[in-house]
Amino acid sequence: MSLILRTTLPDFDYLLPSSLDELLALKAKYGERAAVIAGGTVLLNLIRLGFRYDYVIDIKGVRELSAIEYREGKGLVIGAAVTLRDLENNEVVRDKYRVLWDAVRQIGDFHLRNRATIGGNICNPTLQADTIAPLAVLGASIEISSMRGSRRVAIWELVKEGGGLLLDPDEILTRIYIPEPPKGSRGAYFKVWWIAGIAALAANIDNPRERIVRIAYSFAPSPKLVEGVERIFRQEKPLKVLIGDAINYIKTIVTPPSDARASREYREHLVEFGTAYLLRKLLGVEV
Amino acid sequence: MSSEFRYVGQPVKRFDVDKVYGGALFASDIELPGMLWIKLVSAPYSHARIKRIDCSEALKIPGVVAVFTGEDFPYKVGIYAADRDVLARGKVLYYGHPIAAVVAESLDIAEKAAETIDAEFEPLPAVLSIEEALSPRAPVIHERLGEYRRASFINPVPGTNIANRVKLRKGDAQKAMEDVDVVVEETYRSDPQSHAYMETWAGAATIRSDGTVEVWSSHQSPFAVRNLLAMSLGLPVSKIVVHHLYTGGGFGGKAGLLLEHIPVLISMKLGGRPVFLQLNREENFYYMAQKPGFLFKMKTGATKDGKLVFHIGEYYLDAGAYADYTVNVIRSSTFMATGPYEIPHIHVDGYAVYTNKVPTTAFRGFGILELTASFEQQMDILAEKLGIDPIEFRLKNALKPGVSITPTQEVLAEDAGDPAGVIRRAAELIGYHIPPQRSEEPWKVRGKGIAAAWKGPVQPPNAASSAIVKLNEDGSVDVLVGTGEFGQGTIIALAQIVAEELGIPVEKVRISPYRSTDLVPYTWQTVGSRGLYSDGQALIRALQDLKDQIKEVAARAFNVFKDEVEIRDGKACVVGKHSECIPLERLALGYTFPSGETIHGPIIGRGSHVPSGTTYLDPETGKGNPKPFVTFVAGGVEVEVDLVTMQVRVLKAVLVTDARIINPGLAEGQAYGGILMGIGLALKEAIGFDEIGALRNPSFLEYRLPRVEDMPVEMIFESLNVPQRNAPYGAKGIGELTALPWQAAIANAIYRAIGVRVKEYPITPERLLKAVKEQRPDILTELRKIMVGV
Ligand SMILES: Cc1cc2nc3c(=O)[nH]c(=O)nc-3n(C[C@H](O)[C@H](O)[C@H](O)COP(=O)(O)OP(=O)(O)OC[C@H]3O[C@@H](n4cnc5c(N)ncnc54)[C@H](O)[C@@H]3O)c2cc1C
Repeated sequence: MSLILRTTLPDFDYLLPSSLDELLALKAKYGERAAVIAGGTVLLNLIRLGFRYDYVIDIKGVRELSAIEYREGKGLVIGAAVTLRDLENNEVVRDKYRVLWDAVRQIGDFHLRNRATIGGNICNPTLQADTIAPLAVLGASIEISSMRGSRRVAIWELVKEGGGLLLDPDEILTRIYIPEPPKGSRGAYFKVWWIAGIAALAANIDNPRERIVRIAYSFAPSPKLVEGVERIFRQEKPLKVLIGDAINYIKTIVTPPSDARASREYREHLVEFGTAYLLRKLLGVEV
Repeated sequence: MSSEFRYVGQPVKRFDVDKVYGGALFASDIELPGMLWIKLVSAPYSHARIKRIDCSEALKIPGVVAVFTGEDFPYKVGIYAADRDVLARGKVLYYGHPIAAVVAESLDIAEKAAETIDAEFEPLPAVLSIEEALSPRAPVIHERLGEYRRASFINPVPGTNIANRVKLRKGDAQKAMEDVDVVVEETYRSDPQSHAYMETWAGAATIRSDGTVEVWSSHQSPFAVRNLLAMSLGLPVSKIVVHHLYTGGGFGGKAGLLLEHIPVLISMKLGGRPVFLQLNREENFYYMAQKPGFLFKMKTGATKDGKLVFHIGEYYLDAGAYADYTVNVIRSSTFMATGPYEIPHIHVDGYAVYTNKVPTTAFRGFGILELTASFEQQMDILAEKLGIDPIEFRLKNALKPGVSITPTQEVLAEDAGDPAGVIRRAAELIGYHIPPQRSEEPWKVRGKGIAAAWKGPVQPPNAASSAIVKLNEDGSVDVLVGTGEFGQGTIIALAQIVAEELGIPVEKVRISPYRSTDLVPYTWQTVGSRGLYSDGQALIRALQDLKDQIKEVAARAFNVFKDEVEIRDGKACVVGKHSECIPLERLALGYTFPSGETIHGPIIGRGSHVPSGTTYLDPETGKGNPKPFVTFVAGGVEVEVDLVTMQVRVLKAVLVTDARIINPGLAEGQAYGGILMGIGLALKEAIGFDEIGALRNPSFLEYRLPRVEDMPVEMIFESLNVPQRNAPYGAKGIGELTALPWQAAIANAIYRAIGVRVKEYPITPERLLKAVKEQRPDILTELRKIMVGV
């Protein structure tokens, strides 16, 4: 047994398919022996530091996976290989899908966002993946494809309880579907390094019966949408009181992890006060 | 500084901008014909006996030239104590300890071969903290400590994990305890931290046909590398040439000998073939030495009227597996003992303690960072207990030049500077007594804090420098000095001195950043904020010598006496006669009379410097004069504590020094860098270890450096410009000083903001939250009321 901290990458075959069919065929053929590479900002380091694959399949050659499409009333379709920078620069994302935009612009720096993709972000839940919680409050679903066909699952189902992705060895994340957000909705993302991320979305604030408030937490390894928050906010009480009720409820539901980056106690503090901060900001409640 | 000077005191722009466009050469750029690559293989145990290292598979791989293990290199290296094996022998002392070196035709091959090396270990109980290391039952890490070659002033305690024990005794602290009204007893700590310089270490070596060992490497001090290679490997100095290129940052982490001995020894084994070792970032965290963690216990007493009476300290540095400079760093902390204050009775014991962790070494501030981070909190705590304003308390006890007795029992020199002045001015600039403006967000609370420090170079009494100045035939000047250039800009300041002395444009002065020990004159080391001071004085002597020769030649040309010649505006002129001048270019190679007869030949000035009046220190009491000069600084900050995230933001930082400044632009650059570094050390940076002693964060992804957004919105740097005697234009060093006050100043400001004291660095949100819960739970109750409503 010995410790080797590599500078160079070990050998692997690099494959650059140019169509989705070709991509899926390769993944079907090589399964777990192949890693998908998008921006590579995570994968290449993992390989350098010890993960081993015989094949690295680049998805950037498949044009359609780099497209962002928006259709009024239908919503947004984002290809898995769309870069974070492209999302950040997209006006629809900025104006209508604010919570996603707010999270994306807080990821890494410009250099990173120029390379890193949304698919790579979602498929990398060992670190805190900052796009998952925003996608959860937006009610997004993901398309998972293989030679066997495509399936669509809700974003929060991607990460299995206790970590690990829902993807089978022959499957690839191909697209993200986000429905048209509620009219007049707002969103914001609160983040402390790779310790905690909180996404919140709100609409119809002034009308309790139609009020929408959603909150999700992006703790690694399993991000979570807190169901039941919406119900609390439908009550006819002052917003200030509802925020308190919601936080007390959330505290019973969300059990943040303890790891090398932060203790559970510190994360609990963020769950309580970070959520309070975010909701007040979003709902326009003065302190 | 006054405008009597044309260049000195001016913000002359840096001319070494080839770094910006990529033209600068670093050790990593070295490529020698036929060069082989070295890859180190290390141990995944903190403390273990090596049972077997099997290299047979590696040797079968085409392109692999050799594999070496510890037994191939029976040498001990180290600056003050030779405690380090070239590669581990017998046992490994820390997780990541190199056990083998693979040499191959490319890095790729070397790394593939490295992965085939099979080693077997027998784990031993590991020591992972200072407390564990001191326990009488602790395993002894260096079993042969007593046999190591060491400097006379290093006192290891064989049979224990104490790498060096230092004593400071002044007055009678035990007895003085009876004469005080208030006593404060506290413990301060820090995690190990990293220099985090940009350029990871690289070094190449080859042996010339005449047996000369030639080395290119990333280091601070070429002559120290030469000296330590000679001493450690038993080579004559005459057979070693060390090349200094641009070095991408050092901060003390590249002082002395780094890993140069590895390529040198390997090249020697391979018949002189050039070999190259370049670390990646993870390796740099494991194989290069880091800043030690510390544990400082302090007990300090004062009388009701605010006079400090005694101080008792136990200072411990966590030296890691190899102590390198750390054995001397602890001397610095101990001998400077109590910061810039006079205390009649002092009793400090300092210890550098071995643990099974990454090796440690010097860090910008050399022990005074640790001291200031601790003692300046102690001062605030005392002031509060006494009910005296912290600034007033500091001023009352500040050292007085020419009067006060230092901890090492010397009268503080008359020209030592202005300790009280820097404190007063920093307090003024930060508006210490004006309450901070309230944040509009009620969960953000502001406070102001201050800290002061003193520091001088820690060097042996004979730490010398020298310089050579060559006058060229166009009147330009080439300067040869030994000091290393790794970002400080010393060479620009030195060029300003030359321009000033000769009255020539600074553009006509060349000081190359590149040097070799066989081509430039000696300087001891580039450390301890001594570069400008020491090499500057040698340079001024060299310029006197040069000018003397110019005058001599000109006098003969004019047919006047030598003292009738003066040098101004790049000319030698007869005093008082404007018309009778000879430009320096006509004297550079000697003067040629109209007849063709030529006198003197090329003009070259040379100068040397060695500090006067510094001495060795008494081993029992520390009495003596350790420093040629000291610089005083004070820093003030305004911080904002965000109670939601428990993150602390420094809104404003002010730094005041008493030093005379040769180049205000460079000094300001040092100050900004020092402030940001200090903020990182105070709030973010920590090397983490897991249960078995492996690093948790050996990369910049997880080792949290301060970033641009951590920079204070407002920064002010001021100098009181107090001239130092026997110094180049009265200037003294400030490089390290600019990083010193921030940890304590920030801790003090946090306390003044929210009444919570954190005595462990870095003050991470995690630690701050814990402290708030312990010390001021009411803050969270109140916050809950306003933010959550319950
Ligand atoms: C300096 C730095 C800062 C960072 N800061 C942040 C941050 O603030 N927040 C954050 O969330 N992340 C951060 N990251 C992590 C990372 O950069 C992002 O998560 C990024 O979005 C990953 O995208 P990528 O395209 O580079 O992924 P890649 O490295 O290409 O892939 C990541 C993983 O996902 C898999 N994968 C990629 N695409 C697919 C697909 N379509 N289908 C199936 N599997 C796939 C890969 O096989 C790999 O396992 C940071 C990284 C660095 C280096």
